[in-house]
This record gives sequence, C-alpha cells and structure tokens, in this order.
Amino acid sequence: MNRPLVLALALVTGAALPLAAGDLHGKVTCKGVRDSGDAVVYVAAIAGKTFPAPKEHAKIDQMNLVFSPHVLPILVGTTVDFLNSDAVLHNVFSPDSCADKFNLGTWPKGQIKSYQFKKECVSATLLCKVHPEMEAFVVAVPTPYFAVTKPDGSFKIADVPDGAYTVKVWHPKLKATQKAVTVAGSSAADFEIAK
Amino acid sequence: MSRSTRGARGMLFLAVGMALSCLVSTRANAVPAFSRKYQTSCQTCHSIFPKLNPFGTAFRLNGYHLPGETEEQVKQKPVSLGADAYARMWPEMVYPSSLPGNVPFALNVKMASLYASSHDDTGKTIVHNDFQFPQEANLFAAGTLGNSFSFLSEVTYAENPDGSSSVEIEHARLDLISAFGLEHLFNFRIGKLAPNLYDGFQEMWLMTDNGVDTLFTYNPIGFNGGTGLADSGGGVSLPARTRAIEMYGVAAHRLFYTVGVSSPIGPGGSNGQFNNGGGKDFYARVDYKLGGLGLDGDSTGVTLPPENWRETSFRLGAFGYWGNGGDVEYAITDPDGNPFRMQQGRFSRAGVFGSLYFGDLNLIGVAVHGSDDLSLRDNDTDAEISLTTHTWDAWFAQADYVITPVFQVSARYENLRPADPSVETQRALNANFSFLVRANIKLMLEYHRDLHDSQNYQLATVLRAAF
Repeated sequence: MNRPLVLALALVTGAALPLAAGDLHGKVTCKGVRDSGDAVVYVAAIAGKTFPAPKEHAKIDQMNLVFSPHVLPILVGTTVDFLNSDAVLHNVFSPDSCADKFNLGTWPKGQIKSYQFKKECVSATLLCKVHPEMEAFVVAVPTPYFAVTKPDGSFKIADVPDGAYTVKVWHPKLKATQKAVTVAGSSAADFEIAK
Repeated sequence: MSRSTRGARGMLFLAVGMALSCLVSTRANAVPAFSRKYQTSCQTCHSIFPKLNPFGTAFRLNGYHLPGETEEQVKQKPVSLGADAYARMWPEMVYPSSLPGNVPFALNVKMASLYASSHDDTGKTIVHNDFQFPQEANLFAAGTLGNSFSFLSEVTYAENPDGSSSVEIEHARLDLISAFGLEHLFNFRIGKLAPNLYDGFQEMWLMTDNGVDTLFTYNPIGFNGGTGLADSGGGVSLPARTRAIEMYGVAAHRLFYTVGVSSPIGPGGSNGQFNNGGGKDFYARVDYKLGGLGLDGDSTGVTLPPENWRETSFRLGAFGYWGNGGDVEYAITDPDGNPFRMQQGRFSRAGVFGSLYFGDLNLIGVAVHGSDDLSLRDNDTDAEISLTTHTWDAWFAQADYVITPVFQVSARYENLRPADPSVETQRALNANFSFLVRANIKLMLEYHRDLHDSQNYQLATVLRAAF
C-alpha cells in the first residue's frame, strides 16, 4: 500500500490507522577524535507524548576490564542490568546527579546488579572503583527513537513516525548539537560535532 | 705578560675547546619517541635534527603536545590510568592520567672521526686523528602523562678518546603544562634540565656539532680575572644544564618568558656538577617574536609556506643569570707562580638574543656581558686579600642555511673578551656542512678554527643516527 493512500485513508477514517513511520538515517562526523562512533542520535521530547518504559532490561557487560557497550542509549525508565563476566570483582557507580550518584557495590563473576534510570540523563557516566580506567555511558532519553553511531559515523533510527522533530546528538567527548528534522518515510540527516 | 705567553693563551683557547668537544661532548638530539607516538617524520619538528623548526619549537614549548592537538593525531593510543570523569571527583578520587602507548624510549648514536691540530704550552703542534666510534650514545625517554604533565630524560654514555667511558644523566625532568587552566601561560619544569633561558642557542637546539663554548665554557677564575675556556674544574660562565625549578609561558602567542631558580654550579661548570652551597641561582628571560608561526603554534592571520623550515620572523629578547659561586675554592697562582686560593662570589650574566628567519636563512646572535666578584685568599690562612669585580664579554653570530632539506650549512663566528686585560680577545670560526642521509641519519663535516692561529683547528666528520 503506498504512503499517500495510507495517509488519505487515515484522514477518511479519522486516523484510526497508525501513523506512517519510516527511518531516520544519516551520518555524524566527529572532529578531533579517532573515529565517529559512540555518538548518540536521538529524538528529543515530543510535546504531548510520553512513552512507557520497556519491561525488558538493557544490559551492560563488564568483560576483560571493559564495559560493553561503551555507550548505551535507553528510554527513560529503563532498567539496566550490569553483568560481571570477569573473574575479578567489579563495581559500577556514577558520579552524576541525574543517575542519583548510584553505587552498586562490588560483585563477582556471573552476578548481575541493576539500576533503573528514572530520569532523563544525558549522560550518566559509569565507572568502576576497582579499575579506574573503566568508563561507559548510559544516555537516558525521553523517546524510544535513538541510535548509536558506528565508527564511520553512520546511524539508523527505525520506526520513527512521520513528523517534525528536534534531533539531538550527544558524544562522550564532543559538544552536543541538535537540529530540526522532518521525517517523512525514509529520511536523512547529517551532523558534525567537535570539541 | 710576554706576547708569546698571550699567544699561547690564545692557542689554549681553541685547544681547550677541542679537548672539551672530545672529552665532554654530551648533547641532546632528536627524540624519535615522538615520531612513534604521532607516526610522523623527524622533519615535522626538526629542520635538521636536533635543530627545531618553528613548529618543533611550539611543540616543545607546549610540553610535547601538538598545537591544538586532537585525539586522532595521537596514533599510539595512550594507556588510561583513570577515566576522564575522575577529574570531576578530585580530590575524592585520583585525578586521571595516562601512560604512553609504547615504552617511550629512543636512542641516538654518534660516531665521530676527529682530526685536531693544536699547540701545547711549548708551542709544539699536536695532531690527533681519532676514530671515535662511537663517541656517545644517548638513551631518551620522553612523552606525556595525560594532558597536564610531560617528561624528558636522557642518559648519555660517552666513550673518551683514551678508552675510558662515562655515564651521565643529562636531563631528567617533569613538566606541568598550562597550569591553572590557562593555556600556554604558566608552565612549570622541575629536574635537571637545559633552561629555557637558552631557547634557540643551547647546544641541544643547534644544528652544529660544537656548542657555543665562548658562552658556556668560559672560566671566570683567574688571578686577574678569567683568561679563557675551562677544561675542567672551572668556575661558572653560563650553566648549560641546571637542577632547577622553572616557570615559563607564552602570552598572546608571541611573548615568551621564563624565570627559574637553580642549584649553584660548582667546579665542572657547564659539565653539570653542582655546588650544594646555601644559596640558589636565579635566571630570567623575556622575548618577543614578530611574524611567522606563534611560539605556541598559533597561525592565525599568518600565511606560512609549505616548507616548514621557512618563515619570515624576528625574535628578540633579553636574559639574565645571577648567582653566587661562594663556598667553592679554586687553587690559582699569580704570574710569578705563587699559590693562592680564589672564590667566585656574586656573579651576573646579562645577555641579548636575536633570531631572524628569512626564507631558507636563519640568523642567530647572542651577546653576553659577565661580571664576577672574585675573592683572592691567602693560600695558608684563607684570609681574604682582595675582593675585585671583573667583567667579560662574549658573543656569537650564526647563519644556518637550508640549501635543500637534504643539504644544510652553517657558519658561526665566536668572540670572547676575557676578564684578564692581559689576554687578547679570542675569536673562533665554526663551519658546518650537513647531509641528511635519511630523515633520522645525519652526516656532518664540521670545521672549527682559532682565528688567531691557523694551526689550531679541528675537522670533524660526524655520523649521527636517531631511532
């Protein structure tokens, strides 16, 4: 069924059908860092719209003294499980107020501790007191429309309803940016960020 | 003093210089650890190693960070010693730092074939023709520890012509860069170091094999004031290296300053021996650069050619060094051979520095006026007999020219008026032809001559490699 027909039917039937959705894709060029990965592209809060937190937990693993993934975007309200896959004790804490400066203590291999990100938080730094070099970021955003860029800077956010949005970009080391983007089916938006 | 005696002293000037270059030739060179870190050529920073080009000078003054350095320019990823977020938690948590990605060592090796002609005290000509293979090897460690700290150390192993050898820590220092959050303005260095007082004309920043002995190895001790260069155990002219705490900075991209406090230099002078007396020496320099790349690497509003050794600029400044050589006694004799003791009391050095870049030409000039309070003492009772002030002047002018990046030449004229009025002014010429065999291998032919006596000269063929 083609898109104009769907839109016409929606109008005729009083919008009983769901809004059309496409994807938002593009590229984030990150200046001054080794590659263009780890940027979070997300749709900012939409007036009058709220999104229920998913029941499924997100996961961050601690393996080989590294947080994986390094950057995790989530919808506000999501609970994140922190798994220790190493044979050494790990800790997870955040110094950021938007994550209540939580500290989950230490736990051994195979165990999981969880934390629910109840507030918008861009971003919560995750650290391990046992291994000071370990660092990761949870980015809790108000919509379920987000993606993390690949090393080449490309991203794709699926199932974004057609409409006009503010799209924001956050990066662990670079200045955030935003711009207005109109999504109509498969739409593209490119960004450039720097220090 | 007879004419022949004065002539002999003049000859001694060069002979001692030659001996110094043979015996205590220790110098810093290029540091390939940085080539590894940035995966870049030596020529990024050196017009011909160890001489820095304007970009290399900015790199050095930036504490071994590229001007406006970004993460992707550092090809060897450093080892994190703490996530960046710990900076926000200081002092509850340790401030983050990092280590160089690889062990930051580099080696320089220098082979020299020296042909030297000089006169001894009787006027007899002595010729040395010596393969000094190697003359010295320098082990460097250099790099950065996070964004705020950097370090440089150099251990030199030198083989002397007689087969003996020596090991010296020439540099061992830690730098704090851009303190108080003010970029380039306040930097601190602590350790054994070549003071920034001599930026641009200390031996570690010259393209020639020989340093400027008239500035750094003049011995101000003598019955009527200093007579020439020190061989060993001399007093202080300017210490080539010091144990110091130094602050330096660049303001408005072009104004450079440094101030420092250092341990007094004892017998051995510029060779790096130190006097543990109660006082401390002080030094300061200020200069300004017109045109060319900013001293911090800023290129705003400046059009620079792609040939990175070229620019049109003029740097002019003044410097001073003040100290007290007391507590160290030197055995001297009067003209009749009677023994006395002497102490170098308060001394001061005041100098001006200029460096002109014009295309492929770089002219460097430095003039120093020295003043020394010399305390003459009885050899038996150590009672002070007289306290007199003696002054001396030294200057040099050097022209470095880049024929092509592969072939570069240099000529330097040195002039020293010793404090002893009976000793004539000493003049020397140093000419250098350098062939950059590869970016990190250099062959030099260098001729050093006493302009008073054509038989006092040295011809050196030097091969240096950095890896």
